[in-house]
Amino acid sequence: MSESLEHSFVKQLQANQNIIHKICRLYTAGEDAHKDLFQEITIQLWKAFPKFRGDSKFSTWAYRVALNTAITLYRKSKRSIATVEYEGRQHFTHDIEYNYEEEEQLKLMYKAVYQLNDIEKALVFMYLEDKDYTEISETLGISEVNARVKMNRIKGKLKKILNPLGV
Amino acid sequence: MKELDLLKKDWKKNSDSFEQVSEKEIYKMIHKRSSSIVKWIFIVSILELGLGLVLGLIISFTKYDEKNVEMIKNLGIYGYYITASVILYAVIFYFIYKFYSMYRKIAVDDNTKKLLSTILKTRTVVKQYIAFNLTSFALLSIVFGGYLFYEGYLLGVSKNGTTHPEMPLNIALISLVVLVLATAVLTFAFWLLYKLIYGILLKRLQKNFEELKKIDL
Repeated sequence: MSESLEHSFVKQLQANQNIIHKICRLYTAGEDAHKDLFQEITIQLWKAFPKFRGDSKFSTWAYRVALNTAITLYRKSKRSIATVEYEGRQHFTHDIEYNYEEEEQLKLMYKAVYQLNDIEKALVFMYLEDKDYTEISETLGISEVNARVKMNRIKGKLKKILNPLGV
Repeated sequence: MKELDLLKKDWKKNSDSFEQVSEKEIYKMIHKRSSSIVKWIFIVSILELGLGLVLGLIISFTKYDEKNVEMIKNLGIYGYYITASVILYAVIFYFIYKFYSMYRKIAVDDNTKKLLSTILKTRTVVKQYIAFNLTSFALLSIVFGGYLFYEGYLLGVSKNGTTHPEMPLNIALISLVVLVLATAVLTFAFWLLYKLIYGILLKRLQKNFEELKKIDL
């Protein structure tokens, strides 16, 4: 593959790398697993790059390839399965409006999201990224109506995980 | 759901808090090897398809052994033998072609459902190939094994001086049962081994595919 293609790819990936980081955050636990998945996604993007014609934005295309890699191609190492426990990470910002209750709730919420399956995580991810249901349905290959229905079910499931007794 | 809104707020706040990977590191990464499941499926499939081919070659080399050819001709099954070899090769090459063309269709930028379905279909090709191999192995070993046992038995009896040797029905039945059982056990063992390997490789893909199908039910 030509050098200019490589250069153009690296430039665009570098600028859009947070997409991949966010997916890694959702699908892996621990720094090693994060790096592992980041690398695999980068390789898959690079392998598919010659086919990328720019009909869509690089970022839209990257979302799809990155999610597919996380859902289908990536082999979870035992290490990362063993540590799905989410114990508040350092990225919680402690600003002036620091709210202990909110922080607790967030911790529980992250923990609940970690308990979802791969597909549910994908929906939650796109929801958090403000993707519309058209894009969600096109990315996953399901109908738009059913994507909505599923998202509502996931909300219900999260509620149940947060509050198992239903009080 | 207010918790989800809270999560979204936090998610956005933290979306550029990641330690950035440099261009140099990305250059390094794209020259590394992938360790994706598809790659593993490809390697294992090639090994399986190759194994069939190698076995076929080994068997076909027996053709060049005059004694073998002589024996097969004496048994009066030379025609069948040639036909069977030709069919075997035709089927093996058909499967290799089909596998390759399916494999080429796997595109990581398809939608998730289609991608999963293509990967699983590629696997199905290899599965059919394995089933074909095991079935032909089982049939061949029963037919040829039975035939050789029968001939050997008659030969042994005639050496004892019997002029019109015959195999008693009970011996025929017992030997057939033993032969079928032994073949069945061996075939089943291979099948289990195969299932185990693919169970490990495909469990997650299948689970996710089922989940996506369920959403659209």
